[in-house]
Amino acid sequence: MSNLDPKTLRTRVENISTVPTVPSVLKQLSTIIENPKISLNEISHFVSKDPALTTKILQMVNSALYGFPGRISSVNHAVMLLGLNVVKGLLLSVSVFEIMHKAMMGLREHSIGVAIASKVIAQKKGLKEPEEVFVAGLLHDVGKVILILMYPEEYDRAVKESEASSIAIFDAERNHFSETHAAVAGWLSEKWHFPKKLCDSLANHHRPQVSTLAPLETSIVHMADILVKARGIGFSGDNLVPELNPQAHEILGLTEADLREVLKELEDSVEQTEEEFKA
Amino acid sequence: MAKILVEQLKPGMKLARPLMNSSGMVLMAEGTELTEARISKIENMGVDSVYTDGPSKPARPKEELLASLDRRFARVEGNPQMALIKKAVREHIEAMYE
Repeated sequence: MSNLDPKTLRTRVENISTVPTVPSVLKQLSTIIENPKISLNEISHFVSKDPALTTKILQMVNSALYGFPGRISSVNHAVMLLGLNVVKGLLLSVSVFEIMHKAMMGLREHSIGVAIASKVIAQKKGLKEPEEVFVAGLLHDVGKVILILMYPEEYDRAVKESEASSIAIFDAERNHFSETHAAVAGWLSEKWHFPKKLCDSLANHHRPQVSTLAPLETSIVHMADILVKARGIGFSGDNLVPELNPQAHEILGLTEADLREVLKELEDSVEQTEEEFKA
Repeated sequence: MAKILVEQLKPGMKLARPLMNSSGMVLMAEGTELTEARISKIENMGVDSVYTDGPSKPARPKEELLASLDRRFARVEGNPQMALIKKAVREHIEAMYE
């Protein structure tokens, strides 16, 4: 496997619809969101076919995370308030939650934690659209799900190597796949026509210093990932806190008091959200 | 904020989170003070637990949480920025037991 070249991997990832081990819900969704001219009606139609999906999306937008408690009662209304791209991202993450949970126990909790921490830091930094950073946090590890679905045995070996040699999961991924989950998420998000800033944040959340389109947002997700792993919420492939990039540290300029506040909000929201998405 | 089982609710407690049904409709707002009548209403809704004001203590002992914190940071000891993050998390964990 280690001789798999990045080009081949990318081609295979971009054609996940043809991979037999990928669940049909993800294939259908992929086909829908890769259409650059996707309309609100098509999204609503797709969601309304699945009442459980509708409920989960509305729960997500109505939960304390978004601060619109009880105000949004339809997917159309959600799109008007949050924008098509945010709803597309929520739709994807809510749809993969179950798959995520099966693929790697604890990854869903980790992802929700990173989403919440990203939103809280974004608000601290005065970003106008903290919801977009929330979505970046929610999807930052979607590449792991894709790699596990495509190469379950090889990924398992990467997790075991990371544990045995005390190396970060993204280094073990590089040893086994020649690329990381971050690159995989970057390729797919481009194919799915997500906003360029979001693609940049997903692809570079382990090396925020190379982000050109969204250095602040990418640094936020990078920091949120570190805080959630430091606090030990969920599991994302290893139990090691990654090192904070010095440039991200400078961009964010968070004090110890800021970190404590983020952790406090994270703790309160995670407890409630986990409850909501257990089903 | 603490998660309380419905049978343990007492009049005078306040909701720390709004109580919502499965479609996200708010049934009782955040900050609502519970009365006997409201508690029996919550019982009838079929919910198991609600969030009330007040601290919630973790299920695992503090020593265990701090020991796993040390293990997670073992690889980045000596980095001053990571030391700051670790300190913030340690204080955060300690505060949960106060």
